[in-house]
This record gives sequence, C-alpha cells and structure tokens, in this order.
Amino acid sequence: MHLKYESQLREPLVYGNKTYSQVTEDILRPIEAKPSRLWYIGFFIAVSLLSFGAYSVYREVTYGIGQWNLNKTIGWGWDITNFVWWVGIGHAGTLISAVLLLFRQGWRTGVNRAAEAMTIFAVMCAGQFPIFHMGRVWMAFFVMPYPNSRGPLWVNFNSPLLWDVFAISTYFTVSLLFWYSGLLPDFATVRDRAFTKLRKKLYGIAAFGWNGSTKHWQRHESLSLVLAGLSTPLVLSVHTIVSFDFATSVIPGWHTTIFPPYFVAGAIFSGFAMVQSLLIIVRKVFGLTDYITIGHIDLMNKVIVLTGSIVGIAYLTELFMGWYSQNKYEGYTFWYSRAYLFSPYGWSYWGMMACNVLSPQIFWSRKMRRNVFVTFFMSIIVNIGMWFERFVIIVTSLYRDYLPSSWSVYYSPTIWEIGFYVGTFGLFFTCFFLFAKYFPVIAVAEIKYVLKRSGESYKPEFDAIDAQPIDTFVHDQAHAH
Amino acid sequence: MEQNKNWQSFGELNKSEAYNKEVNNEFKEELPFVEDHSGFLQSKAPRRDFLKYLGFSTAAAAVAASCEMPIKKAIPFANKPEDIVPGIADYYATTYVQDGDVVSVIAKVRDGRPIKLEGNSLSPITGGGTSARVQASVLDLYDTARLRFPTIAGKEATFEAVDKAVAAELNGAAVIVTSTITSPSTKAVIAQFLAKHPGSKHVTYDAVSFSGMLLANEASYGKRVIPSYHFEKAKAIVSLSADFLGTWLSPVEFARQYATGKKINEKNPAMSKHIHFETVASLTGSNADEKYLCRPSEIGAIAVALLSAVKGGEIAGVDAKLKAGIEAAAKALTANKGAALVVAGSNDKDVQVIVNAINDAIGANGTTINFGATVNYRQGIDSDFAALVDDMNAGKVNAILFHGANPVYTWPQADKVKSGLAKVKTTISFNGKLDETAAVCKYVLPDHHFLESWGDAEPVTGHISFIQPTIAPLFKTRAFQDSLLLWSGDATEYTNYVKNFWSAKLGGENGWNKTLQEGVINPATPVVSGASINSSAVAAALIAVNASKPSTKIELALYQKVGIGAGQGASNPWLQELPDPVTRATWDNYIIVSPAMAKTLLNIDLNNGGQADAYEVQPPKKVVKLTVEGKSIELPVLIIPGTHPQTVGIAVGYGRAESLGKAVIGTGKNAFPLACLKNGTVNFSCSDVTLTPTGETYPVALTQTHFRYDTTQGNRTEVMKELTLAEFTKNPKVILEEREEEAKPFGGLEKFEAEATIYPVYERPGIKWGMNVDLNACNGCGACVVACNAENNVAIVGKPEVLRGHEMHWLRIDKYFSGDMENPNVVFQPLMCQHCDNAPCENVCPVAATNHSSEGLNQMTYNRCIGTRYCANNCPFKVRRFNWADYTGADSFPDNQRGEVNDVVLNMNDDLTRMVLNPDVTVRSRGVIEKCSFCVQRLQAAKLDAKKESRPMVDSDIKVACQQSCPTNAISFGNANDKHSAITMVREENELRSFHVLEQLHVLPNVTYLAKVRNQSEAEGEKAEAKKA
Repeated sequence: MHLKYESQLREPLVYGNKTYSQVTEDILRPIEAKPSRLWYIGFFIAVSLLSFGAYSVYREVTYGIGQWNLNKTIGWGWDITNFVWWVGIGHAGTLISAVLLLFRQGWRTGVNRAAEAMTIFAVMCAGQFPIFHMGRVWMAFFVMPYPNSRGPLWVNFNSPLLWDVFAISTYFTVSLLFWYSGLLPDFATVRDRAFTKLRKKLYGIAAFGWNGSTKHWQRHESLSLVLAGLSTPLVLSVHTIVSFDFATSVIPGWHTTIFPPYFVAGAIFSGFAMVQSLLIIVRKVFGLTDYITIGHIDLMNKVIVLTGSIVGIAYLTELFMGWYSQNKYEGYTFWYSRAYLFSPYGWSYWGMMACNVLSPQIFWSRKMRRNVFVTFFMSIIVNIGMWFERFVIIVTSLYRDYLPSSWSVYYSPTIWEIGFYVGTFGLFFTCFFLFAKYFPVIAVAEIKYVLKRSGESYKPEFDAIDAQPIDTFVHDQAHAH
Repeated sequence: MEQNKNWQSFGELNKSEAYNKEVNNEFKEELPFVEDHSGFLQSKAPRRDFLKYLGFSTAAAAVAASCEMPIKKAIPFANKPEDIVPGIADYYATTYVQDGDVVSVIAKVRDGRPIKLEGNSLSPITGGGTSARVQASVLDLYDTARLRFPTIAGKEATFEAVDKAVAAELNGAAVIVTSTITSPSTKAVIAQFLAKHPGSKHVTYDAVSFSGMLLANEASYGKRVIPSYHFEKAKAIVSLSADFLGTWLSPVEFARQYATGKKINEKNPAMSKHIHFETVASLTGSNADEKYLCRPSEIGAIAVALLSAVKGGEIAGVDAKLKAGIEAAAKALTANKGAALVVAGSNDKDVQVIVNAINDAIGANGTTINFGATVNYRQGIDSDFAALVDDMNAGKVNAILFHGANPVYTWPQADKVKSGLAKVKTTISFNGKLDETAAVCKYVLPDHHFLESWGDAEPVTGHISFIQPTIAPLFKTRAFQDSLLLWSGDATEYTNYVKNFWSAKLGGENGWNKTLQEGVINPATPVVSGASINSSAVAAALIAVNASKPSTKIELALYQKVGIGAGQGASNPWLQELPDPVTRATWDNYIIVSPAMAKTLLNIDLNNGGQADAYEVQPPKKVVKLTVEGKSIELPVLIIPGTHPQTVGIAVGYGRAESLGKAVIGTGKNAFPLACLKNGTVNFSCSDVTLTPTGETYPVALTQTHFRYDTTQGNRTEVMKELTLAEFTKNPKVILEEREEEAKPFGGLEKFEAEATIYPVYERPGIKWGMNVDLNACNGCGACVVACNAENNVAIVGKPEVLRGHEMHWLRIDKYFSGDMENPNVVFQPLMCQHCDNAPCENVCPVAATNHSSEGLNQMTYNRCIGTRYCANNCPFKVRRFNWADYTGADSFPDNQRGEVNDVVLNMNDDLTRMVLNPDVTVRSRGVIEKCSFCVQRLQAAKLDAKKESRPMVDSDIKVACQQSCPTNAISFGNANDKHSAITMVREENELRSFHVLEQLHVLPNVTYLAKVRNQSEAEGEKAEAKKA
C-alpha cells in the first residue's frame, strides 16, 4: 500500500505541469514521430560497427583463435575481459527494476525501462564472448546437458564455466521476461494510439491483448513482484558465479575469496555508469528531462560513489592480503605485476585505480553529482576503469604466474580482437537505437503511477495535508482508498 | 427489473451481453484465479502441422549440411608383403650417420614407413641414447626439398646419361672431397676408385674440424688419431671451452659417460667435479660445477698456466679470477690423478699439444683417455683442403667429387672455393639436397638418405654399426658408393659389396644376418691403453702459445648449436623449432652478449627491473653490426649470462641456400665467413671485433623469456631445488626439510595429501603411472623434445607463431639461472604434463574433455574439447598447448591455412612430409588443447603385449619417447604402485632429493624431480647464496 502523501522535502520525480495524457504524449512522441537525421546517422554507425565485429568473428571462426594475440600463457585476454565487462554492465537494469521495486523506490520508474533494455542488450553482448572464445564454436552445444548418444556423457558440473552457462542464460531469460511484462501496458497504449493498420497490428501482437482490465493489472502486478523476487538473487548470483571462474582457480591473483562481493559491487558500479551514459543522452535527445530528472542522476551518482568505494576497499584488501599472506606468488602478482607502476602492465593497474577509486570520489560533492557534464564524463571514466579492472585481473594474473619459465611476452590485441569488442558495441547500439525508436524508453504506466504523488505540479496539493494536525493526518491516511 | 443503486454505463444498466463479458474481468468481490485448461494440444496448430514443419526443417538442414566433402581413398595391398602387418610396427637396427657423427639406432617402421628412431641399447658407445639431431633425422627422409633425380647442369637426367658423361670426362686424376667417412667398406670403395684413377686423392673435409687435435696428437704421440675419452672414469673434468655435451666430437657418448659421474648415490654421495672455462655460454658450461669466464684468446694462456700448476709450478699470465679457477682446476686434477681429464675445444694445434701434456701429467693418458680405441668421428685436416682450394684456383684439378662436404657454405673463404670450382672441368656432387656446393656442381647424383641405404660405420676402432634400409628409395637416388664402384669399373652393387665385405669377416651369411639384426659388433674385450708422449713437442708449443698475447679488445667466438650443428640441421623444422638449450631461441642465430656488455653496448641493465622487463617481454631485439677484419654481419643481440663480458658469440649453420627447403628461408645469417685460417687450421674465434648498434630491431622467437625463479617477492624454491654437494653431505635432509617447511601450513609432508584439502582422499589401486627426472643427469640437450615431436605428431608452427607464444611442444626444457648474473649457476628442468592426481585443469573444463584415467593419467579427449582454454589458464605448469590455427591441415574448414600459417608449416602438411606421422597418435585439429599424454599409445601397446603373453606387465615393456631418447637416462618411468618397478626403486633410492614442482598447491603431480646437486665446495655455495641475497 502506497501512501498518498509524499513529503514536500522530497524532490519531485516528474517536473512540469503534467497530466496523464501529457505524460503519454511526451514519452511516446519519439515512437510516433519520424526518426531524426541524428537517429539515422547513429544507427548507421552502430550497424557498421556490428558488421566489422561480425567480420572479425568470421575470421576467428574460420582461421582459429590465432587471429587473436593470446598465447600459451595467456589463454584469456580481451575476450573474457569484455565478457565480464558486459555482464557487469548488465547488472544495473535488474537492480533498478527488481531490487528497487522490492524496496519501493519510486524514483526507479523514470529509468527502469531503459536500464532494463540496456541490461538485456549488455547480456546479449556479453554472451558473444564465451561463445566465440571457444576454439571450436560449432561444438558449443556440448555445454548443454542434454541426453545424448555418447554414452553417459554429461557436462562437467564442477566447472565454473558451466555454471556461467546456467547463470547467464537464467539471468537473460528472467531479465527479458521482466522487461517484456513491464512493456505490455505501454505497448497497449501505443497500439491504442496507432495511426496505421500495420502499427496497430504489430503493437497489438506485442501487447498480448492487453486491455487494461483490473484483472490484467492485478496479474501484471503479481507477475512483476514474482519476477522481481526471482531477479533479486540473480543480481547477486550472476556476477558471483562469473567471479567463480577466477576465484576457484589456482592462479595467483585469481584464487581469491573476496571476488564474489567485489565483483557484484563492481558490476553495479559499472552498470550504473552505463545507465548514466545512455540516459543522459536519451533525456536530452528525446526531450525527456522532465521525467529523467537531475534528481535521478543525483541518486544514481550516489550509488556510483558507494559501489566505487566498495570496489576500492576490495582492491586495497587484495593488496593487503598479497602482503599479509606472505605468499610469494600472490605477492608477486599483486605487488609487482600490478601495483608496481613500472612493471609491464603496471599502467593498467594504476589506470584502473585512478578511474574506479579516485575519480568517483568527486561525487561526494552534491554540486558534482547534479552536474550533467561531469556525470557523463565520469560515467565514461568509470566504464573505462571497470574494463581495466577485468583486464588487470585476467591478464596481469596470467602473464606471470607460477613458473618464471612460462612468463609471457607482452600481450596486445590484434585488430580482430579489437574488432570483436567494437562489434559488440555495434550490437549494443543497434539494439538500443531500435529500442529507442520502437519502444517507450520510459515506462509510461509507471510514471503515471507516481505522477500524482511525486509530480512537481501535484506537490502543492500536499500543502493542505501538511497543515493538518497529526491525528487527522493519521486518520486520513489510514482510511485512504 | 431491479434497479441498481448506481450505474456507470448503459451496459451496466441494461446488463448487456458485452458488459457481462467485460465485468467478468473486473471482479469486485474477490480475486478468482480462473485457470484456462485449453492446453497446447488443443491449440490451432495441429500435430500434423508440427510434423510437417519438423520434416521440412530437418530436410532443409540436411540439404544445407551436405556440402561436398573431399574423398580420400585408402587402397589395401593387392598382395600383402609378408613382413608388413597393418598397424604393427617393425623395428630394424640401423645407424644414423651424418658426416662423421655415428649413432646406432633402431628404426620403427609402420606400414613400410620409418617414423621414429630409437637408440640401440646394444651399442656400448651410446647405450641407447640419441640426440636431437638423431631424432630429427627421420624427418629429413621425407624432406620435400630432397633431390629427386640426377641432374646435369641443372637439368634432369638419367643415371645412365650421367654415367656416360662422367665416364667420358673422368680420364685422369680426380679429387674426392668427403666429410669424415667412418665406413670401412666405403673407404675400400674409395681406395678402389683411387687405384683405378691414378693420381687421384681423397680429401676429408670437416666443416668444424678437429685438425688441431689430430695434428697435436701426431706431434705428441706420433699418431694422427683422436683417442676415445672416458668421462665416466673421470672424477675431475676440466674443459677449456670444449662443448662436449653439446657439439664436441661425440656428445651422445660423452653425455652418457658424464652423467654416470653426476648421478648420486644418496647414501654415499659423491660426484665428479667439472670445472669449465667458458667463452660464450654453452650447454656444457651450463652444466659445469664451476665455471670461469675467459676470452677465446686466453685459452692458450690458461692451458699453459694449468700445465704449470698441475706440475706444481707458478701460475702466470692470467688475471686473478682465472688464476683462482686454474688453481681450483689444478687442485681437482692433481687430487684425482689417474681419474682426471682435460679437454679443449680449441682447433689450435699448440693448445692441444699443451692439453696433451696436462693429460699426461695428471695420468689421464691410458685411463680416461684411451689410445687403444681411437675414434673416427673427425678425420679432416684443414690444411689439406686449403691446399686443394689453392690447387683448384691454380687450375691443377681436373675433376672433383663431393660427398657430404659442403665447403661452398662452410669454408671461411667460400669465394675462393667457388672461383676454384669454376676452374674445375668436372664437378660432381653426391649430396642429397641441392646445397650450396651441389648448386655449383655440373653433375648432381643425389645419394640416398641413410634410412634408404646399406652401409656400415666404425665410430670407434673395433665397434661396427650397420646401416640397413628401412624403406625403398623414395626418389631416383643412387648410393654414392654405387657410382664410385661403377666408375672404377666394378659392376658389384654396393648392397652386395657391403654384404660380401662383412660376410667374409662374420662367418658367412648367417653371421651377417644375425649381426644385421643386432645392428652392432662390439669388441670382445675393450682395450684401454695410453700412448707415449713426445715432450719436445710441448716445449715448441709452449713457445708458440706464449708468443701470442691475449687480446684486450672485444672477441668473437663462433659456435655450433646443438640442433643445427654446422648447418646440417638448418633445413629440418623440428630442429629449427627446438629451442636452443642455452638461449631458448628458435629459428635464428644472433649475437650472444653478456649482461655487462649489454649495459655498455645497448644500455640495457638486466638488474634494473623495468629495463629487464622491457627487454624480456618484447620479442624485437636490438640489431648490432659486428665487424671483424673488414667482414661484417648484422644480427639481433641476446643477453645471455655466463658469457665473458668482452666476448660475443654467433652460431654457425644459419643463412643457408633457399634450395634446402622452406625451413631455412629467413632464418639467420651465415657466420662461417667470419672464421679465419690460422696456422693451417680454421680458427672459430676472432679478436678485435667492433660492435655498433644499428638502431634497428629484429624479432627473435624465444620460448622462454625469464630465467630466474628468484623474484622480488621471494625465491620460488618450490619450482626448483638446487644445492651444493657440500650442503648435501652436511645435511642430507636439507631438501626434505625445505619441503616439510613448505607443507607445514597443511599438516606437514606426511599428512599433506589428506590435510591440505577438504575432499576425501581416494584410493588409487592398480596401475599408477609415474615419472622421475633426475636433474643431475639431465644436461638440457633437447633430444627428448624432438623425440616427443616425432612420437606424438607435435605440430611445427613456424617462427611467426613461436614469436606469439604459440609453440606446441608437449615437453620443454626450462632453464634457470641462480646466483651472480655475470656468471650464474644454470639448471635445466624438463617439464611435461605432471599428470596431477588432483589436476586443476580437470575440474574447470565445462565439457569434461580432460579427465583422469584409472591409471593416474590426465587424459585429453580431443574430439570432446571445445577449446575454452580454461584448463591451460588453470595449469600451474603451463604445459597445455592450444591449436591456435590449422597447423596440421586436420581442420574441416577448407582453405584456412594459406596466409595464416607460414610455408614451413604448410610444407609439414605435404603428403610426403606427413609420411612421418605416427599413426597411433591423433593429429590434432584447430581449436583443441593438447598436451603430454605420457605416450599413452606406448602404454596401451605394452599392456596389450603383456596381456597377449598372459603375464603381468613389467617396467621393461615400456619406454616413453622422452625416456628412450635420453642419452643420460635422466628420465625413469613406470608403475609407481608396483613395488619392484624402476620408478619405485628410483624414488626410494633418491628419497632425500625428490621433490614435486609446486608441491604446495596440492595438485599432487605424478612427476618427481631429483634436486640438482652441484659439486661445489661449501665456500663456493655460500658465495653463491650471498650473491643471491
């Protein structure tokens, strides 16, 4: 049960003098208008990147993983770095939708749709890497536990890589369902406003026959709660399991019990940064500044400074343990391969430190948190930093592990390795451009839900309530229908 | 009609049908969850549609998938040869002969193709040991660059045509130039030819000759011979930069002898002491107990000083460091009189005369040096050939025949050879490939490969080793001896000639057959005798040596690599890709400099972490121009500790003619022209060398970049354990205590297996394969690496791929330095899959492609592998290898090799070259991981054999490839659960020195190593420790 009253001290979640129909008009405008020139340019760039990525992958599949610069010592490089990076980004959406839903955080309504879409696209991108990093990708179905004619031949349930398969596919499925079920009422709205037959038909199919009946709403609410309940542990579990890829191994720098919480915090950190990057553009381009307000940005920056600091503590803990354990192998990895600036990859560690730990501290200042340009810049910095984090974990641990005889030559990616990464940006933005054009980027129904409580123009109505004596207030709220 | 109190629409008021339907969905009272039971099967798409779609999609997929596949036909024998059973190998005793090198071998022949050479254990010389070059020689048989027919002036001809033409021209004296011939029958054939052509002569030409030693022995002992050496009898060995474990005279033999003195009986530890005077880091120097760095020009002075010292005289003419070395050497030699040996690598007659005098003084003559059995490995005298070159240039030579010798490439003044040859009317080459000399000869009559030949060899007087063909000649080739016989008017075929030659001596055909089966004849009782020395020769030599003052400028030492030799191995991809034991580099030669010189010359300080890292992690190395006596060469520089600070080294044998095959293209530069003739012998060192950095870089394909296990964060003693003999005698449990300390956090060694894990301990009944490597015996020669290549079809990847860390070797030999960076201790550690009982690779594979057998093998299922490389990441030993590209042509993707792998790799996939593949071992395709299998095909075969004979399998049934090839028997292998097996015995006998690499990880390896013990006095050990600290 929601209060009908919201403190005046709280910032409005919707600015401007909005009515329900205005909300609909504002948010659906991009869907119903012709795409702008900017959209076409952006879409074209995204598709080009995607094509380059596809060609890079084609080469890798045809000629072998030798198209990349990995070697006998460094078995994973950019491929798994990018995988973990994208999975991390895919965490904010579900966190915003599910966890914040359960915690009744009204501010999620402005950003959840786009964040969830981002999650889904990010997980799609992430999935490409573990699939195409396989030497024989055409045998990828071997990772599925299906009854087969090879005797009792099953997958290896001990392998964290297999856990990844389950974790990622579950996460993707649940996130997709959650996102789609939230889209149903909005699709129905688009359908009802359709100006062509085709539009009506397509959005009609997409809306699954939604007619706004109480029964539909009731089920929709229940489903949302159930999916939120399902997703919440997934937010924690997915990156935990991804971190197991490293934590369960024997390699110094990977074999670390701190990884699960550290990875989850890092994932949320990077996820929120990515949401910021995207929404700051979307709210500007689509004129949705009233719905995705500076207050939202402020709140998300708070999450960023919190998780960034958690990640920072984790880095320091690792360093401390590297010394405290007195394990020479860990000591070498943490204190030489990483923390020593002049070691071959020292720059990447300090790049990570600067981007992830130092720079987000700027957000202790409210002024900075509410500065759109600073936020946008920082969101990019954080994502660079988080990419470095994964690179540091993977490459600096592997390239000089136990036997000095096997220490690797300097690893830098080939054009095709970079191409694969760039290609996933193409995939991501292609999807995002299509989403922004054809899907309501803000949950229309959910905005309406908070409009009369948290809308700027409705706030003055609470003046009368504020003037009430406490007893009356309590009585009124208790009988509120 | 009852009126509602309130109504919201006319529908409600009238209770219209539509309204009633709507209102059903707007429940006001309660929330009924109506279940709709109309299920899937009642849906609109009926079962038939489903089947229709299913059928269509299956058919479509089938059509799409049925692209045309190439059909390869296997044709069965129409008439099966009696001896060939498909799938069953035949073994023939034969002999590896290359120039003067002789190693008795057993050839494994599968379906008529020789595919592997194993050492012949009946030979007391090699005792079944081989070298990298012996192992690789089987690949030379299938070399696509072999000459396939005789040619006249480069045009294909028949042998008849050549015979006719040669007969017309060969009227008069001819000169036969051969590399050292050890074959008695061939010598007889040559004698016959020389007799037929009066005035003819036979000149023996060795690329890297022992003329200095031969002449010195003539001067000292009156005999132009090389005695046999007995390193196994020597308790003190002093080597004046003689690389006797790598390339000097007969390394397989010496390695075996040397290892006997190095293996330790733990109850009564004693070992030989080897003091080495090193110019440029070498394999032998790396194995020495004590090593002193000197310039090549100081070798003479050292010999003189050592002679004086062993006679109790003064040491003069050398600096303080060397003086200490000479004192130590003299002390060791005199303390072990009669069991001491000095060898010198110098090709200077005077130096060798002095060495003879030292050996005489320390009682080596007749004990460790045996003139009773002289060796025939090298017979060439440089001055003979020099005279011939002059004769040729003077137009005095009418006809010249080359066999084995390749002076156009190897003679320091190759231009003179070329210009001389231009003046010779009839030039004939019998070399099997179009080498530099054959290329300028008019007639080329390619000889067989030794695996196609009949023949014999007498490496040591009285020891005969036979050559029998294991395959019919692949090409139109003819034995060199056949040509000579024909041209001397003898119609006997050489095949019969050899047979007749020996049948007479062996008691008829039966004796011959039996001997051929065994492959060798050994003298009944070995004779050991000395020779009386002529002391006047010494005085003359002393004067000569004292007259030449050591240089103070930078010097150059040319050396041979273990794999490449004087260039014979250059066209063999297995040998090119074999990491050089000293530098761990492949596919190139380079300039070796010391860390001190690197600092002044290149401004690279290896003691500066950042600079060392930068040097190590970047394959492009700085190129330096080396100039000596007007000749210059530009090569990249490698910094190798253990090299004299004022001396640089370059390997010969590179930069060969492209006609020798794809493997030589782009690999290194020819350093032979830098050698010089001095006092009638070829001198492989030069003083007064100028080095100028060119500012360019050149990538060198190193397989190991870092050589110290002592890191800034601690000394990784779990990786490698080494100690001095003094430490070991003082406290034999020192290694055990170290291990105990490492296992202490996990309950100590005894409880380690159970306590260091949360999992239960499993019983491991039945067979449990185990391996042991004695680091004292291993000298790092690399024979096992090539043997593994041959046995397990390990792919060659070529230089560009090695540069990227893509080499495929299942077995590698790690090299570590410890102590002083200028003159470090060196230790070699062969590392293959450790077949861990608790293997970290196994539990991370998502598809269980790598798993554990009930016999303790960590096995790799190639066709299950999807190539995630997780196992390789999680292997602490980094022994897993990934097929980064289609190296073998086994991939199902067509046309994905060209442009991606280089020509050498493509050539390895040629149908001819592929004949060398072992049919018992899968050729791995792109995208899968592979690694050492403990030669599982051999284990299965041995078990089957035992089963067929209804007996339990015993250790002697099995020899894994690396173990078989090892000249020093450093590797033991067998069933560790069998109380009487060799592996159990070795482990029990060497309990104190055993260790597992990275034992503390609790991966429970099945390979044990025996710690390296160096015969250093405690003081020296402490010195090394102090330097380490």
